[in-house]
Amino acid sequence: MSDTDQADHADHADHADHADQADADAPAPGESERVRRRGPIFFIALAVAAVLAVFVVVLATREPSQDRAADSPLVGEVAPPIQGESMSTGETFDLDSLRGQWVVVNFFATWCVPCRVEHPELLSFSRRHSQVGDASVVSVVFDDDADEVRQYFEDNDSTWPVIDGSGTGVILDYAVAQVPESFVVSPTGYVVAKITGGVTSVGLDQLLERLSGQSSATTAPNGSSGESSP
Amino acid sequence: MNVALGSAALLFGFGASVLGAVTLAVGLAKGRPKLLVLGRSYALMAFLGALIAFIVMERALITRDFTVAYVATNGSSKTPAVYNFATLWAALEGSILLWALILTGYTVAMVRKFRDRLTDPLVGWAILTMLVVCVFFFGLMVTVARPFLPFDPGPGFDGPGPNPLLQNHVLMAFHPPMLYLGYVGFTVPFAFAVAALATGRLGEGWLVETRRWTLFAWGFLTVGIILGAWWSYEVLGWGGYWAWDPVENASFLPWLTGTAYLHSVMVQERRGMLRVWNLSLLCATFSLTILGTFLTRSGVLDSVHAFTESGIGPAILAFFALTVAVTVGLIAWRGDQLRSPGRIDSPLSREGAFMANNLMFAAFAFVVLLGTVFPLLVEAVNGDRISVGVPYFNRMTMPIGLTLLFLMAVAPALPWRKASTELLRHRLYWPAWVATATLVVAVAIGARGLAPLLAFFLGGFAAGAALRQIALASRRQGWRGLVGRANGGMIVHLGVVIIAVAFAASQSFAHQGEFRLSPGESATVAGHTVTYLGIETVERPEKVVVQARVRVDDDGVFAPALNRFAFGGQAIGTPSVRVGFAEDVYLALLALPGQQTGSTGGDDPATGSSGVDDSGAAGDAADPSASGEPAADAVLLRVIVQPMIVWLWIGGGVMAFGTILAAWPGRRRRPTDPVSAPVDVGAGTSGPGPGDEGDGGDGEGDAPSTPEPVTVGS
Amino acid sequence: MTAPPTSDTSASDTNTSDTRTGGTSAAGTSARRGGAGSPWLWVLMGMVILATVVIGTRPDTTPRTNEERSQALADGLKCPTCRSQSVADSDAPVSKEIRSEITRRVESGETDAEIRAYLTGRFGDDVVLTPAATGVTGLVWVLPVVVLVVAGAALALAFRRWRERPTVAVTDDDRELVERTRKVRDEGDPS
Repeated sequence: MSDTDQADHADHADHADHADQADADAPAPGESERVRRRGPIFFIALAVAAVLAVFVVVLATREPSQDRAADSPLVGEVAPPIQGESMSTGETFDLDSLRGQWVVVNFFATWCVPCRVEHPELLSFSRRHSQVGDASVVSVVFDDDADEVRQYFEDNDSTWPVIDGSGTGVILDYAVAQVPESFVVSPTGYVVAKITGGVTSVGLDQLLERLSGQSSATTAPNGSSGESSP
Repeated sequence: MNVALGSAALLFGFGASVLGAVTLAVGLAKGRPKLLVLGRSYALMAFLGALIAFIVMERALITRDFTVAYVATNGSSKTPAVYNFATLWAALEGSILLWALILTGYTVAMVRKFRDRLTDPLVGWAILTMLVVCVFFFGLMVTVARPFLPFDPGPGFDGPGPNPLLQNHVLMAFHPPMLYLGYVGFTVPFAFAVAALATGRLGEGWLVETRRWTLFAWGFLTVGIILGAWWSYEVLGWGGYWAWDPVENASFLPWLTGTAYLHSVMVQERRGMLRVWNLSLLCATFSLTILGTFLTRSGVLDSVHAFTESGIGPAILAFFALTVAVTVGLIAWRGDQLRSPGRIDSPLSREGAFMANNLMFAAFAFVVLLGTVFPLLVEAVNGDRISVGVPYFNRMTMPIGLTLLFLMAVAPALPWRKASTELLRHRLYWPAWVATATLVVAVAIGARGLAPLLAFFLGGFAAGAALRQIALASRRQGWRGLVGRANGGMIVHLGVVIIAVAFAASQSFAHQGEFRLSPGESATVAGHTVTYLGIETVERPEKVVVQARVRVDDDGVFAPALNRFAFGGQAIGTPSVRVGFAEDVYLALLALPGQQTGSTGGDDPATGSSGVDDSGAAGDAADPSASGEPAADAVLLRVIVQPMIVWLWIGGGVMAFGTILAAWPGRRRRPTDPVSAPVDVGAGTSGPGPGDEGDGGDGEGDAPSTPEPVTVGS
Repeated sequence: MTAPPTSDTSASDTNTSDTRTGGTSAAGTSARRGGAGSPWLWVLMGMVILATVVIGTRPDTTPRTNEERSQALADGLKCPTCRSQSVADSDAPVSKEIRSEITRRVESGETDAEIRAYLTGRFGDDVVLTPAATGVTGLVWVLPVVVLVVAGAALALAFRRWRERPTVAVTDDDRELVERTRKVRDEGDPS
């Protein structure tokens, strides 16, 4: 404490001491020295400090919620079926018919800005791989206007199938919480990755390379968790 | 230009805060009063910096200066002018700027009020604390949350405008500033608490002097929370007003500890007790505001308010850790020395009731805090992801709320020091009849269920007690019986009771249904008929609004709408409400004709009408087209009927009014001396006379005017 | 300091209609003043309350309709995108899907538990808004009760300790001490 308020402090301490003695019981032996007493408040404060320290550490080690979105219980499981009439081409589509190649199942909406941002990436990915024939794309929409979807795909020259998932249970089967979300299905029909927030063509290529290197035919690599794009 | 000016102003404010803090620290350490006085100038400079930055940002927003990155990401030429002003607090960096402005404003006000005592180390410590907090907030704005980053707009660039939810309703202009005035206002008593701990001078009435500041901060916080609930109801489309969302909880937690403080500080004034507890409450309140800011902004918890996270999370958490370390450390160091040696005579007394009140509020705060952060704790322990939602909070807080209602009924009738049950029985007689009458009326108009009935009964009880106090006080003193801390407090209690009863009613007796209606078709929910008339499209510069015109009860036409904003994104709904004193009819447009919403094809519950719960009839739809395919021109409408919603806002208004009355200066009276603390500075007192029961009416508990010490210049 | 008196008296309060003594004399006076203390009226009040509560809490035995079941289920599940809103309240596309799925399953006869299990299997355990009562999660229910009980007990203990401390009779020495200290303090008052 500084010198200037030493007088105040001493004064106060004196006054408090005297008040205490006058008011309380006959002074007990242990209580004569008030200044450095380790009373109950000290120990309570210590306990509180310990709890809060643990609390702060827990908070500091949490990851932001956005990063958690990419985990999915679906990874490593058989890909749920997708069937329906494609809004862009009019043909019937069945996911099973694409067994033998990689499939990117892309959940999409025309009103969703990040979906529109990633669409060109999907376009370039689709074009390259459809030539080779080893991977293809299918889009699923829900809660969207059918005409706008058709128009959008037309405007972008996107030729892959786009299915309306509303009411078919596909949305829930894939546990799609937000758009855009994309699932990568292996040639054997297992979901091997979930990507949220938007894909890039390069990123998909790299992912496919990595996954083809890891998996051989039968079992899907369990635990290869989704990555969230920035 | 705006970028440069704004950044310079912020840097100036930051520098002033740092220099001010250092100067005061040196002044306190070395005992140089001249340095302490300089604190005033530095506070003023910091305020100037914040003010200039604020004005610059507002100018940039209003003129749509897209060279400022904040304006480019949040402003738009299409946003109406009113919302441009409010866009300042629509996103993170601007909110911090608003916080800094209010904080420096409070600091300057504090410096001005205590201008004759700047050389007092206690005041010095208080200003030092305020300046350190300023350092933090300015520091955020010059590092991780910079509002004045430059941006290079291309030709013809137009910003996206603020989040659509934030430009739907004019309440957005008021809710954040009110909330911040409350949050930040609590920094002042906190600063004095720290000062009292640091200097060891606890019994001099500083907390009493800052009482009115605390009351105003609390009042603003109350209004801010109510406005937030109102906004939620009017804008978000789900028909509710309180979701125990992390952001709502973040504002509620300091309110809980602040309310506890407002009550227990009266025990300190009268009996000189609970001094360290009151200091702890103030420190907790401030810490909770910082923690709340962290939980809201860091992204660790999902929330409707999710702003984009930057590096701000770790910074706020670090400041929270610092605050907690310093305050807990101070209390550990000083607490036992500063404890008052007094005692409470009997649990059946006003002091006892206030202590029970504090216990309940502390439990309330614990429950809300635990529920909010528990998902994080569980994830840390075993990696599981769980949710703690509305059912938990409602179930756990209900008994606490009911107990608080009970205490509100009993405490005003309890005298200080000790009461007998005889006395209590006598004083609670009429309030008990009010409670009974409320209960009977409630059951008569159809309320059912133990919990709501208990709420109505206890609410009536508490209202009866408050009214009795007010009646007695006005009988004794005329209009002055309505002002002053005790009487204003009774009116605030009335407001709380109104809100509690309205809350119980609207939560327990709501009815809702979703209907697909073609033009001309009607549906019925809980006795109200809604008829869909047709669609109307309105084009505005910033959005296209598609309205569904709906007639309610042959009474008026309402227009819930869906807004499609120019820059894309999901359509945002604007609900429309038919407000009534008895109940609200709430309309939300869920889907337009032709829009697929997941209820197409064979599994269409087109007549989905559901009475929400136990009491009362389920709504039914007079909707003939029940089967399968929805009609091509049918809209999907959600109708919710909830009783007594408007009373929530009225109750909030009563609370605000009561707060103003409570802050009204009372008659100059001989102050009540706390039993074991030095006599208040500047008060002309005649010693520790009849003390607690000397002033007329203390036993009644409604000191008609506040026995405040005379303060200089307040 | 003077020892606090143990009963409330106030000379300045005589013009209020309430006396403030805690003694039994209040019963007589208040009975005269119109029944505030009359036990019969309290009994009547109690009976009215009891009757009203019995009427008001008669259990509703009508079985729940499908709509009510769907609504209750939707109220208890969290919308996966909207952070803390329930599926019933949310307007998010996925919520609408979930609501229609719930309705479909309720109508096809599945139990509440089965429907919940399906959705938690897909979206994870955090889609249920009510935390489990077992395991680590159960702590969220238990801790507040424990804390309240402990704090309440501590408060009760403090009250008991306060009661047991005898009041001290003030001696002349004490008064002298206080006067002396006062003088010192007033003279040495810095501000």
